[in-house]
Amino acid sequence: MKCILNTGRTVPQGTAVEHKGSDAYRAVASACFLNPVDMMMLGIENGARVRITSPAGHVVLSVCSAEGVTRGEIFVTIGPYANHIISSETHGTGMPDFKSQSVNVEPTEEPILSVGELMEEIGGLRYDRQ
Amino acid sequence: MIVSDVVCPFCGCLCDDLELEVEGDRVVRVQNGCSLAEATFMHDTRLPTPIRRTKNGWEDISYDEAIKETADILKEADRPLLYGWSSTHGEAQSVGVHIAELIGAVIDNTSTVCHGPSILAIQEVGHPGCTLGQVKNRADVIIYWGCNPIEAHPRHMSRYTTYATGFFVPDAQRERTVIVVDTRRNDTTGIADEFLQVEPGGDYAVLSALRAIVRGKESVIPKKVAGISKEQLIRVAEICKNAKFGAIFFGLGLTMSRGKYKNVRNAIELTDELNRHTKFVISPMRGHGNVYGSNEVFTWMTGYPFAVDFARGIAFYNPGETTAVDILRREECDAALIVASDPGANFPRDAAAHLAKIPTVVIDPHVNATTALSHIHIPCTAAGIDAAGTAYRMDGVPIRLKKVIERGYPDDAEILKKIYDRLNGGMGP
Repeated sequence: MKCILNTGRTVPQGTAVEHKGSDAYRAVASACFLNPVDMMMLGIENGARVRITSPAGHVVLSVCSAEGVTRGEIFVTIGPYANHIISSETHGTGMPDFKSQSVNVEPTEEPILSVGELMEEIGGLRYDRQ
Repeated sequence: MIVSDVVCPFCGCLCDDLELEVEGDRVVRVQNGCSLAEATFMHDTRLPTPIRRTKNGWEDISYDEAIKETADILKEADRPLLYGWSSTHGEAQSVGVHIAELIGAVIDNTSTVCHGPSILAIQEVGHPGCTLGQVKNRADVIIYWGCNPIEAHPRHMSRYTTYATGFFVPDAQRERTVIVVDTRRNDTTGIADEFLQVEPGGDYAVLSALRAIVRGKESVIPKKVAGISKEQLIRVAEICKNAKFGAIFFGLGLTMSRGKYKNVRNAIELTDELNRHTKFVISPMRGHGNVYGSNEVFTWMTGYPFAVDFARGIAFYNPGETTAVDILRREECDAALIVASDPGANFPRDAAAHLAKIPTVVIDPHVNATTALSHIHIPCTAAGIDAAGTAYRMDGVPIRLKKVIERGYPDDAEILKKIYDRLNGGMGP
């Protein structure tokens, strides 16, 4: 299903933002909010996983139903999961399309990666001693 | 020990009425703060010592070694990028600008992926703004456009707008009309007197329609504009024109969506139009605690608020070219110093990926996503927790951040001064 990716801040994201290796941060940053009708069209329920694909890449997220999100839109809090599929093109403004990235949404059984694993996909090495 | 009148350094509200209970090097209770403030003060876990990436893991290194290697990396780089700066104090930001000038670096701050487009619009048409104190005491119409204060600035409404008792607005909840414009329904839209649910990317059209109606040209408006009925647009325009004092607050819903800085320009021009009828002001909802300060410090030192390139020996500013995301996307920089921010989490994938290909040094109190992309991470104090310094609130008011505990970490301004000294043959900035 073709959708527009919208991103933004949330309180749970803000409270966990300085603990990016934590399970709490992973849970809020990898949550994908979808309109219930779109979820029905995809044949998925709360907690199911979806693979979101854009020209920049793909990422697996966990689905949350949200009536406030309009059909054809998905909402993901700002963070490494959303950014894994956002293009770095800024159209000469310095600002990427954080709120209007076209994406494809499909159900998947693939696992959700940790923030460390996402960073390792782009050449990093996780640091998990605390 | 109880410490009162503490400033929360988390978001651009810089609430300065917190009361903390401190036991030794820990904050054990936060009063008056929102849940973001509580997390900031009470769950403040740090990287214990500087670390360096090896072939197959991480090793602890000393501060002296980390500072020396950072200086060597910056000295050897042809096009270094110095990025971040928004979660630290002005004292560290100013040393950062000195380093950029000394080594001919590009220095950019987080407004590049936040309200940078708002600054571009303000440079085009000006900023009819005011302090939050004026809004609190006078505004009877509040517009939140493309922002969600309940989630991102949880005390904005209770301290300055919807629920705040003002001198000329004694019964705030009854006397203030709240208008919210957003693409999706959320907690903020739930308390609005008027909620305009705009189609994604439709903000520019809605702003233009409101401008036309305020000008008396409502006959040209079609039945619906980007999902909003003509009747509602006319009703909202009337509320605005009849306000005693109106205040528009806008967020990343304008700066990040289609049109970007042109959306903000249109919103400022709507404010201009409304000032032909009554008093109206507009201000961005700044995100990081001291992101406004990074714009102030950069501007008074270089003439430009962000994306400043010193490669020519003089300050050069061209957003879209000298902005951090563009420099990383083009794989142009060959070293990076990241201070008080997390581009690993907040930059698009390709831009963040380049940080892992070059020697990247992070100076930040916390382990974050950029740690994984870095070569060295140097922990430091957190401004407003164990370091004092100056920060600027979202309305441009400078506020002194307090040091409430001592945790034994060096101040990032001190680390940066030592790096500067090494780059400058022992001479300080």
